Amino acid sequence: MEAILALLLVASGAFAAWLLRRAWRAKPGAGAGDKFAGWAIIVASLVWPAFVMGPTLGPFVALAAISTGALGLVSSGVTFRKAKAARAGAGRDSLAPEPVERPTTAWRTTLRWLLAGPIGMIAAMAIGIAYSVWVPGEPQTRLVIGGLTVPVVWGSAMAWTLADSRILRATAVLVGTAIFGFGISILRGFA
Amino acid sequence: MSSTVTQRKPLLSRVPADFVRAVLKGHSGLGLAFAAAIYLVCLTGSIAVFAHEFQRWELAGTPRLETLSPNAVQRALAGAIERVGGGVEHAYITMPSPELPQALVAVEKDHVTRTFVADANGVIVASGDTPWTEFITRLHINLHLPQSWGVFIVGLTGVALLSSLISGILAHPRIFRDAFHVRMGGSRRLQEADLHNRLGVWAMPFHVIVSLTGALLGLTTIIVGVLGIALFQGDVGKVYALFIPQTPKDDPRPAPLLDLRPFFAQVEARSGGARIDMVMLEHPSEMGGAALFYTEKDDGRLHNSDSYAFNRAGSLYHTYKADDAVTGQKVLNSLGKLHFGWFGGGIVKILYGLLGLALTYLAAGGVLIWLARRRDKRNPAPGFERLWAATIWGQPVAIGLAALTVVLAGAAASKMVLVTIWGIATLVSLALAIRTTPDMIARALKCVAGLALILTALAHPLLRPSGDPVAWAVDATLLVCGGLLLRLAKRQQSSSAYEDAVLT
Repeated sequence: MEAILALLLVASGAFAAWLLRRAWRAKPGAGAGDKFAGWAIIVASLVWPAFVMGPTLGPFVALAAISTGALGLVSSGVTFRKAKAARAGAGRDSLAPEPVERPTTAWRTTLRWLLAGPIGMIAAMAIGIAYSVWVPGEPQTRLVIGGLTVPVVWGSAMAWTLADSRILRATAVLVGTAIFGFGISILRGFA
Repeated sequence: MSSTVTQRKPLLSRVPADFVRAVLKGHSGLGLAFAAAIYLVCLTGSIAVFAHEFQRWELAGTPRLETLSPNAVQRALAGAIERVGGGVEHAYITMPSPELPQALVAVEKDHVTRTFVADANGVIVASGDTPWTEFITRLHINLHLPQSWGVFIVGLTGVALLSSLISGILAHPRIFRDAFHVRMGGSRRLQEADLHNRLGVWAMPFHVIVSLTGALLGLTTIIVGVLGIALFQGDVGKVYALFIPQTPKDDPRPAPLLDLRPFFAQVEARSGGARIDMVMLEHPSEMGGAALFYTEKDDGRLHNSDSYAFNRAGSLYHTYKADDAVTGQKVLNSLGKLHFGWFGGGIVKILYGLLGLALTYLAAGGVLIWLARRRDKRNPAPGFERLWAATIWGQPVAIGLAALTVVLAGAAASKMVLVTIWGIATLVSLALAIRTTPDMIARALKCVAGLALILTALAHPLLRPSGDPVAWAVDATLLVCGGLLLRLAKRQQSSSAYEDAVLT
């Protein structure tokens, strides 16, 4: 039964992606109906399994199945081209955005990776622990949600510090966050 | 007029170009720094989804049961302890289930765990060690490094993956405009970028779920440690006590083996028809002995496990009911299942396996884009190209040879033997990068990996005949994967010959 429902969700994902692709291929101004229908099927496919398969099980089965169906549809539209030879002479310019070239020094590079790594981790933990301490609710819930916050905040800090050229600003924000987060947590204590 | 046009632009197209280029720089740097770790963790994770199926494959030929009576459990426990000569500190009894229909008794003595298979009467009939499953799951969980370091590194890899997903979305303003483009065979960079971006976007919910749950599972020890230091005067036990049952008071005086039969009766009376999934025993032959029962109910919930703990006197000293759990406990008890795809039956495992391979390609393809960009800019990195080809194709070889070893050597192939073979195969693959071209490396390694998988699939049913359809399915899958790898190697040979003729 579960297998049949999951396969139905895979098919729903593929059908929704097919409608969205039709909208994507349509001339400008056209395709709004397909776009709406595609998104509506995706939303409906995330909701109905909750009633049929279970309130937590259904949506997570749907997320995996819809993604797989959509990827299957996208891969069916693959176009093949002839291999291009690299042009002689200067390097080829690309239309795609290129990573920024910024002057750097050894200490800036070291500081950048320290911010992305241990300092970002400490700041993220400070936020997670401050959440656990200050937000009302059952202790287990506060700890688990606080724990889930840590990788999200650390990952965001990593993305930000590795991109931001104003490295001292990033340092100030992360160090400040760590001191403030741990400070207010220790002051209140866990209850 | 122009302002009207600007207003109609999609949201992501309005992101300033300098911001996109800065984020792309971070995305690229992070991806390169963690590419090999992300690749290895994702590849082994995609395989570890099928851990139960691989266990059945390794246990092919042993009795498959639907249930095991309390009397048989008691006999199996006594038999397993007798096999290791007594003095057992912990024991773990895995009851037969639809996923894993074997009755397994694992006993731990002097920090060494041995597992046995019992038949329907509780008689120990075979070794239940599954070294290949242990090898692949441990490679995923802690890279076979010392436990706390390895788990932390894998957790850090999960954070890096999550960060790459965030920066990946921010760095691609054309993500919707190119939503359905998969252009193969033209420019190498465009081909890899299309694959990377399509696999990244369309499977984004899966990528976020596995990286977030994986990061939290990996970082739990350090988060709890910091929490303990900051808020509980260094006592991490107080944090754990909120989630797991207390261990019974230690009393090392010798005692007869714990009699589990009355506990079974109590659990069955309390669990409302739930299936007993596992029994964990603390010091079963000491006065301080205790038994922890886990039950599971297939009721459409992720957090569907109850637990009951008894001391030697038969007193129930801990009860956990999923129905009464608070949100935090429900979330925590769902993380492992969500991470490994162990919910929703075999079909969800297959979907997780496919999406996991997509994530694996995402890691491999990111580096291929960087290498192609360097070539386009006439600044190629041939050493990196060789090294990366050896890295990504060396792992199927190393893992495939480990599987072949476990089939050919049987009980002689311990987990350490498999780790050694994996390590040697990885080093030899990387050594190929010293001289040969990336094409030759990839072709040779695909051939070896393909042959290893095909030999494994052919040797397994001959050496371990079984009527288990899951073992046959694993063999068939290995055969198909081996065939695909050989086909890929052949296609690469012909496309390389074409490129040599046309492009040079």
